[in-house]
Amino acid sequence: MRLKILLQCTVFLLLLSFKLAAQDTTDLMSQLEKELGGDEKEFTNYTTATFKTTRLINGHSVENVGKGVMDVKISHRFGQVNGGAYELFGLDNATMRMGFDYGITRALMVGIGRSTFEKTYDAFFKLKILRQSKGKKNMPITLSYVPTVALKTLKFEDPSRENYFSSRLFFTHQLIIGRKFSEHTSLQLMPTFSHHNLVQLNTDPNDLIAVGIGGRQKLTKRLSFNFEYYYQLPDYKLAGTTNALSVGFDIETGGHVFQLHFTNSRGMSERTFVSETKGKWEKGDILFGFNISRVFTIGKRH
Amino acid sequence: MLKRFFILSASLMLFTSLANAPLVVYSVSAGSITFRSDAPMELIKASSTELKGVFNADKKQFAFTIFIKTFKGFNSPLQQEHFNENYLESDKFPRASFEGKIIEDIDLSKDGIYSIRAKGNLTIHGVAEERIIKCELTIKKAVVSVKSNFTVLLADHNISIPKVVHEKLASEIKVEVKADLIAK
Repeated sequence: MRLKILLQCTVFLLLLSFKLAAQDTTDLMSQLEKELGGDEKEFTNYTTATFKTTRLINGHSVENVGKGVMDVKISHRFGQVNGGAYELFGLDNATMRMGFDYGITRALMVGIGRSTFEKTYDAFFKLKILRQSKGKKNMPITLSYVPTVALKTLKFEDPSRENYFSSRLFFTHQLIIGRKFSEHTSLQLMPTFSHHNLVQLNTDPNDLIAVGIGGRQKLTKRLSFNFEYYYQLPDYKLAGTTNALSVGFDIETGGHVFQLHFTNSRGMSERTFVSETKGKWEKGDILFGFNISRVFTIGKRH
Repeated sequence: MLKRFFILSASLMLFTSLANAPLVVYSVSAGSITFRSDAPMELIKASSTELKGVFNADKKQFAFTIFIKTFKGFNSPLQQEHFNENYLESDKFPRASFEGKIIEDIDLSKDGIYSIRAKGNLTIHGVAEERIIKCELTIKKAVVSVKSNFTVLLADHNISIPKVVHEKLASEIKVEVKADLIAK
């Protein structure tokens, strides 16, 4: 009995030694790849370039600017194209926002801006909570949180009544859940909560809720088609407002990104385009606009 | 009978393992790749210390590989992103590699400096190209140090440069490889 086991062991060892001898004929590269564990285990492959820039069209994308990078954004929205030839299809009227975004860390950026529309200042930060990745760490989505505060400095409509500074303030909290599905296709969801200290009508709610959906489809390496839609919950919207729908293109040339788009929204800060859009696409209340982004690297090498 | 079988198999085992004895596989313990694009308007430099590789001294065969995403040192984070997204397309082609054979015969047991030529397939951006690359080998106390400088033509690997960045990106990239290999 014992002998039989010994015999089996010997045969097994014999086979093993043959197998070892045969191994050096296998391809060196596949051996190396095996050692590295393929692409899977060795390191975390973080998804990059889900979108070309930090804004999808009007609103934020899941992208942040890099650490130590200043992104100067100049945005224009012209008038409604249904203004006709007299208004040169809206080009006679433009509102503008200039903004400065800065990346403090890879996951945290801050930004300030000033819009001519209702003389509004805005400030925000964007914190990346989760980062889409494969490999060592597996994460299907990127999750960001963007709180924004807007300060409307337009003179009060009725200076004779008692006006409060707080009436000028608007707060927006936004979560962005994004995923790059393929090299060309990215989608994101943007649940958005806004608080307006002062609203026009008695019946208007102060707390407004909307859910945005947006995405991009790359057409070439440097050109993509984008869309963005904010659906306002019927009981949590201001009377007479519509849902913002925007479509456009991103054109990237090295350090610049040009975004050209059509939208039914005039404002460029969250509180205006999410909750105060008045234009109706079906009536031709469409505005042409563009954003230009130019990045400057202030920090050290990356 | 059984005893004889044991002796036979034991000697067979010994024989097969003896036949394998000179099989010495060296692997990279520390390795780096640096590349340089020297264009009229911009100098771009990036490097990675994540070079992996093995060398079969017996057969003079080697295989080296590196993850493209591990390159760092760009002039801006955006440049790094474009490098991965637009030029090297590192999601599609996560690695670059070089595998082949050494032309010269060298005795790795003797310390010294040797000039050798490595012949093999250099794969970047998913395009393999046969290359003969000169290397300097320094052998010292069983550590094999490899140093090599060579150039890569972007066009050879199907990496196109758009007109707008012609002044900022060289069509010929200088590459420097350094690696220390030790026997496993």
